[in-house]
Amino acid sequence: MAEKVNETSSRCSEPSPALPSPMGTPLRKVFDRISGLAMTCKRNAVPPRRRIFHGDVEQEGFQHASTYCLSSYYSVFVARLAIMVMLAVLIGLLTILTWHFTKVYTTRSLNTLSSGLRLELLQRPMLRMWNVLNSTSEITTAQVKLSEYVIRRYSKATTQAEQVGLYEMMRDVTWALFSSNKALNAITISYRNGFVQAFHRDHRSNNTFYIYSDLVNYSISATGSYDVNMLTSHQGWDNESIHGNLSAIWYQEQLDPVTGEKIGKAKPVPPDDLINIAGLSQVPDGAASWHVAVSKHTDSLLLSAALPVLDPSNERIVAVVGVTTALYSVGQLMKELVEVHGGYIYLTTREGYLLATSTDAPLLTNTTKGPELMLAVDSEDPVVRMGARWLQKAYGNKLPPHHVVQVENAELDRQQYYIDLFFLNLKRLPMVGVIIIPRKNIMGKVDEMALKTLVLLISASLCILVIGCVCILILTNGVSKEMKLRAELISHLDARRKAEASSNYKSQFLANMSHELRTPMAAVIGLLDILICDDCLSNEQYATVTQIRKCSTALLRLLNNILDLSKVESGKLILEEAEFDLGRELEGLIDMFSVQCINHNVEAVLDLSDDIPKLVRGDSARVVQIFSNLISNSIKFTTSGHVILRGWCESSNMASDAGMFPSDQKKSRSTLNTKLKQNGNHMDSEKCNKVILWFEVDDTGCGIDPSKWETVFESFEQADPSTTRMHGGTGLGLCIVRTLINKMGGEIKVVKKNGPGTLMQLYLLLSTPEDGTEQHHQIDFVEHSVVVLLALHGSMGRFVMSQWLSKNRISPVEASEWNELTQTLRELFHTRGRNSGFNTHYSLSESSRDKLKSIEDVTNPLYIIVVDIGLLDSSTDIWKEQINFLEKFSSKAKFAWMLEHDTSNVIKMELRQKGHILMVNKPLYKAKMIHILEAVMKERNLELQKKSSNATRVTTREGDSHECLEIASTHFETCSSDDSDISELGDSNSTSSLHIGEQQEEKFVRCSTSNFQTKNCLVEFCHSEENNSWTEYMSNDRPTLNDMGDAKCVISRGPDRPSGSSGKEQRKPCPSKAMNEQKSLEGLRILLAEDTPVLQRVATIMLEKMGATVIAVGDGLQAVDALNCSLDIEEGGRKPSFQDGSPRFQTEICDSPPYDLILMDCQMPKMDGYEATKAIRKSEAGTRMHIPIVALTAHAMSSDEAKCLEVGMDAYLTKPIDYKLMVSTILSLTKRTP
Amino acid sequence: MEVGQMQRRLVDYTKSLFMEGFLDSQFLQLQQLQDENNPDFVVEVVSLFFEDSEKLLNELTRALDQTNVEFKKVDAHVHQLKGSSSSIGAQRVKNACIAFRNFCEEQNTEACMRCLQQVKQEYYLVKNKLETMFRLEQQIVAAGGSIPIIEMSS
Repeated sequence: MAEKVNETSSRCSEPSPALPSPMGTPLRKVFDRISGLAMTCKRNAVPPRRRIFHGDVEQEGFQHASTYCLSSYYSVFVARLAIMVMLAVLIGLLTILTWHFTKVYTTRSLNTLSSGLRLELLQRPMLRMWNVLNSTSEITTAQVKLSEYVIRRYSKATTQAEQVGLYEMMRDVTWALFSSNKALNAITISYRNGFVQAFHRDHRSNNTFYIYSDLVNYSISATGSYDVNMLTSHQGWDNESIHGNLSAIWYQEQLDPVTGEKIGKAKPVPPDDLINIAGLSQVPDGAASWHVAVSKHTDSLLLSAALPVLDPSNERIVAVVGVTTALYSVGQLMKELVEVHGGYIYLTTREGYLLATSTDAPLLTNTTKGPELMLAVDSEDPVVRMGARWLQKAYGNKLPPHHVVQVENAELDRQQYYIDLFFLNLKRLPMVGVIIIPRKNIMGKVDEMALKTLVLLISASLCILVIGCVCILILTNGVSKEMKLRAELISHLDARRKAEASSNYKSQFLANMSHELRTPMAAVIGLLDILICDDCLSNEQYATVTQIRKCSTALLRLLNNILDLSKVESGKLILEEAEFDLGRELEGLIDMFSVQCINHNVEAVLDLSDDIPKLVRGDSARVVQIFSNLISNSIKFTTSGHVILRGWCESSNMASDAGMFPSDQKKSRSTLNTKLKQNGNHMDSEKCNKVILWFEVDDTGCGIDPSKWETVFESFEQADPSTTRMHGGTGLGLCIVRTLINKMGGEIKVVKKNGPGTLMQLYLLLSTPEDGTEQHHQIDFVEHSVVVLLALHGSMGRFVMSQWLSKNRISPVEASEWNELTQTLRELFHTRGRNSGFNTHYSLSESSRDKLKSIEDVTNPLYIIVVDIGLLDSSTDIWKEQINFLEKFSSKAKFAWMLEHDTSNVIKMELRQKGHILMVNKPLYKAKMIHILEAVMKERNLELQKKSSNATRVTTREGDSHECLEIASTHFETCSSDDSDISELGDSNSTSSLHIGEQQEEKFVRCSTSNFQTKNCLVEFCHSEENNSWTEYMSNDRPTLNDMGDAKCVISRGPDRPSGSSGKEQRKPCPSKAMNEQKSLEGLRILLAEDTPVLQRVATIMLEKMGATVIAVGDGLQAVDALNCSLDIEEGGRKPSFQDGSPRFQTEICDSPPYDLILMDCQMPKMDGYEATKAIRKSEAGTRMHIPIVALTAHAMSSDEAKCLEVGMDAYLTKPIDYKLMVSTILSLTKRTP
Repeated sequence: MEVGQMQRRLVDYTKSLFMEGFLDSQFLQLQQLQDENNPDFVVEVVSLFFEDSEKLLNELTRALDQTNVEFKKVDAHVHQLKGSSSSIGAQRVKNACIAFRNFCEEQNTEACMRCLQQVKQEYYLVKNKLETMFRLEQQIVAAGGSIPIIEMSS
């Protein structure tokens, strides 16, 4: 059994690999598709994902990604489909396999079972048949033996009686046998003489008959003949004797079936009418014979056996015994079996004649010869007939060797049947048993179950499939949504990038445009300047041109603003990193704006705390631009009051000045601190000494609505649109300021303020130089016990100044107008002198009085009185008296005068005559105050030292003071008249570093002037004779002198200078006042290297017109030669070598290099400007000299500029040469170097 | 001809030169530079320009005629021409030179030839104009008048 299972399993596993083969093509296609989809899926789905992850980083991928994004839609769809298909296939396969296996196993096991059963079933009727045969043969044999015995006893019967006795005996014996076996149909004995004895049992009527032939016919006579016949020939005993004996009469007696007693009368019947009597013909060879006989009266088949009875000598057949058994019982058994199991069973002979069937169909056919056996193929039962035919068709007459045939699934009449055939090979009667069972009977349930299972499985798998698909849909829905979102994100990013690009284009366009516009604007301004210089203009024309000039400047400033802004926006702005003096820059700024302020009746005040580092690193031009924008903005909107620029350093401010400022600053400061902490590491590693400088620009203007505090920093935004009409402006200024501040790592915002006006607060992150030890004023004012009387108009400036003074422990006394001043003076000096309450028409306030009282306690104070020139009444002549009044105190105090830019010369002259030498320009701020204090203290020290010195000094001092004053005022006027230019430059800080350089140079001038101013003051106290001072300076302190001298020269050459300065006039013998205006380059020796003759000529004339001496050479080589030659000469003999050199050069050649400046064209034959410059710088390497070289190029590209500066040139001019620009450049360069 | 009339003509003529773009502000600067120290400054410079330009133009023609054009050399010449023309304010020559240089950088011989022709044309035009102007000036001076100051109207 196990083997069988194994076998079935192995056989069963065989089809499973073979299973796809029938579905091969479609399934393969599906698989191919799925795998293909999966591949495309991978290919499509994976790249976009990767792109998405790296998308933010790699911008270039976006365009591709957006196309991928579309395909990813499809890929999601396809992936979904593929997963579904795969699921469907999987579930389908599972279902089919399950169904198949279950079905196959059950079928197989059932088949094995049923085949066994069927054989068993078949064998039972066969066995019955076999039994029947056996019993028949046994009875026959027994009958034969008994007959032989009886016949031997009566062998010598000669008489009729004996003969009868024999027959009687035979009858009894036969009866005994017959009655012992109920199944027997009949027993016949036919004797040689034709006598027949037979017992017959009719099963249907259950009657038993005795049949015998008439004894009369078989007389003794007959017996005699019988003997003879018998002896003569054997052949005489044949059927003919019986059949021929047709006239013989047979009698039939009914018997009691149990006792054998006669019941009825014997009645004659025709011979062979009821039963077949086995005759001699049936045993021709003396052996037993078998055959299936057909009963004459019933339809049933009979099995009859015949045996001969031999005489004792065994030579003769005495009688033939025939036994007939009905086969009815076999059919009965079959029927019983079939009733239980169903199906059909039949037995046939080998030839195919039906012996028994389980059906009721007749086994016999009625032919003309009477009923005969029927072939199975002709059976009336359709199933048996068809089965027989099927078998005949399948096997013909040849039976398989094993005598067993088992056929499954034989289709008969559209129904499945099992057909089993069993072959029983009996010697005389070979038989074939066939069982036909409808498949339904065995497999019906199984098939039904298999069908049900299949249906169930399919429905279940369909459900799972549907649920799975829904799940997949739901699950992948999220993915597809995410995909969609990502696609949107990508498209947004793309759009943003495009927008940024377009904005960038805009900025670039603006930058280019404004740059292009600037060029013609510069030309317009230049031409206007030329026009203004023209003497031939009428007054009206002059006014108009000036107006045009102003407008052009305004336009240019606007262009510069736009350029700045777009530059910052397009990220091209690079901040310089250079050391500069922040305080000085801001002072210059305030100086500049104060002029404008005075016109506006606004006070400009600078209030820098002492802790601000002197030197910081940064882009000075940009810092100045920030503040100039802010201050000009403030001034623009302030009609009266003040504009204060406050500055302090972060760290110190926390403690000391906290009270001075509104409390909400603390918040901003704390945020700043956190910000600093965040940046801390970064900054520490980079530069350890970054400082945070806080600034405030405080005005008393119209103020800004709090809602606009943020938006004012946007471009083209003004707090109130109506102001545009009133004040003009584009609203770019603050925007530039903010971008610049942000770029410097700072912040700006509008802060709430008590009172009217605006308070802008900003901080900058600037680094201080490494070695920048903070240098505050070293002089200790305390020990001098200084008292300063501030008689100033502007209340704010005065307040700030007195605050500062108090902080430095200098006692300040304030006075805001003339009367207060006089009162205070009287109080101060007269009380000291007379110690009496001197009450005049004016009385001081209590606080001032207290102050005065406290001052009185100071022993031997040094009084400094700072008087605003505005306190004097200049409209009438009263001022003279006022000065005279003050003059009275000049011995007790030092006077310092604050001049206004338009203070008339008459007043200045007067002051000078009175010996008031200390004059500074408004506004007063810390640095100026320190200068005043220092000057006064120096003077006092000197006075203390030289108490005995004579009065001549006074006169000389007058001269010196004259100079000092002049310089200051000159400088100032330069500033004021060039105000627009400076502010323009300050605003713009344009691309060209030249501008910046120039600006810085101008600042430098200013600085050196202020230096000079103080120094000159010092000089005055030291030396009586000016010439001596010069010579002494030369010998003592050469660099200082050079500095000073140069500054002086430059200043004295300034275009607005009213008349020649003293120093200059003494040194320059032949200046023409008429030419002064033009000849700003007077006395300079310039080497011009230019190959183009036209340009050479033009430049030469230009320079010569300005008073310079020009030596022109054709190329770089000549230029180098010229320089070397002159150097040689200088080194060799220090002789004057140039014929055209001015006397000054002849005398001073030893002190200065042969040329003050070289103008170098960049593109020249033989040796170009770059090479020449390199050569010159190389030759200079060992010496201390540095000849400024200015490049002349036609390129006007910034790269050229870089190249120029790289090779060692100092500045850079573009062709065509701009007159003004050239002058300013040359001036700035020649000033700097000796 | 009357002096006043001639002066008006000169002014008109000069103005037209500016209007038509032959000259630019640089020429005005040149005129500004002319004073009693250098009475013939403008004429001097302009004639220098003529000499220089003709020399350069000849060299350019020769350089471009060669089979193997040395663009570097051509470029240098054009650059020089541009410098000198811009110095006297011959604007149209300068502009033509700028275009010329661009083609030089592209090494486009054909376009360079075209540009050379254009430069030449512009040069001769401006030369004619300037010569006419100077003739007028000379006439005025000869007639005893002074040369009027040219004002830029635009």
